[in-house]
Amino acid sequence: MSITWNDNAPIYRQLRDRVVAMILDGVLKQGDALPSVRQVAADFQLNPITVSKAYQELVDEQLVEKRRGLGMYVTDGARDALLQSERERFLREEWPMLFARLKRMNLDLQTLMKNAPTNGAQS
Amino acid sequence: MSVVQARGLSKRYGSTVALDNVDLDIQPGRIVGLVGPNGAGKTTALKAILGLAEFDGQLSVMGLDPRTHRTELMQQVSFIADVAVLPRWLRVGDAVDFVGGVHPRFSREKCMAFLARTKIQPTQRVRELSKGMIVQLHLALIMAIDAKLLILDEPTLGLDILYRKEFYNTLLGDYFDEQKTILVTTHQIEEIEHILTDLLFIKEGRIVLDASMDDVGERFAEVMVNPDKADSARALKPLYERQIFGKSIFLFDGIDRARLAELGELHKPSVADLFVATMKGTYA
Repeated sequence: MSITWNDNAPIYRQLRDRVVAMILDGVLKQGDALPSVRQVAADFQLNPITVSKAYQELVDEQLVEKRRGLGMYVTDGARDALLQSERERFLREEWPMLFARLKRMNLDLQTLMKNAPTNGAQS
Repeated sequence: MSVVQARGLSKRYGSTVALDNVDLDIQPGRIVGLVGPNGAGKTTALKAILGLAEFDGQLSVMGLDPRTHRTELMQQVSFIADVAVLPRWLRVGDAVDFVGGVHPRFSREKCMAFLARTKIQPTQRVRELSKGMIVQLHLALIMAIDAKLLILDEPTLGLDILYRKEFYNTLLGDYFDEQKTILVTTHQIEEIEHILTDLLFIKEGRIVLDASMDDVGERFAEVMVNPDKADSARALKPLYERQIFGKSIFLFDGIDRARLAELGELHKPSVADLFVATMKGTYA
């Protein structure tokens, strides 16, 4: 398995983002075990300290919990918590810019909804 | 306690200075890359650590002096060299028997388990194996030894990318843990830079960079600068400058990021970029 990392963020951060995306996409569900640090280090050819750091971030954010002697597990409610924080972030950071843009182009809600992708044909 | 500690480590071959007053501290649980151009002193440093070469200065490996305590040291240190040292007439099974006979910390079961994952047969002779398989055999013998320090000198030289990936995969998945330390030299630095926890650059017998990868990420930055700001960039004393598509790319060490961001787009340099910048003029 080969992955390319971008050079604008530390790799542990990018690894953390990957796990977050997997939780949001439902690939990792609550109660699922994360692969061991050793396994991830070998698979992605990373040093184990980088992997531990990514996992520690997830633990600090309470998205993942350490069960002694067993490993790391996705916490109950991790996806809901993530959805909640992602929604807040969208409303805080992206929505004002998007709103301003829509206003500039004079796009009203009705037009937008009329052109909304139908179910099953989402991009 | 440092796994390797050197103070004023020096070595001359006649009038050539191979190591020039090297100070080193390698902590347990780290994966350290020792990187330098050909002839920079990498192999000489490793030989000194292994007690295979005389040297001047102080050197302590696992708390022992390699000059006087080589036998004890070899119980805790393993080594894979860039030159194939397994005799070509040796059978695989005999190699396993031999290491089992001479090394008290060797696990035959572990070694056979590693070999079972390869195409290597115990009855084969070394000369019948491909270069990649010889390295697999070597790695199987070495990983079955419960050593605290593993020294790898260009371990994947001449191997194809599949063998190279598998080599580091096995090392990280089956060997390394926080009690162990790996010191590795390689020219294929871009392939292992994410595996390393620490970076040592050696140039003409001197250590010119000694930093953890975290520090490297914080200290160094690459900025792509438009021609109108190139002079202000040069005023900040970049380590290195190169031109791409009419823009200048500068590499800086320890300059405040906010200040650099005013000049252009910031990037984290790869270890290969750092290497080129640090070693410029080596062969001139």
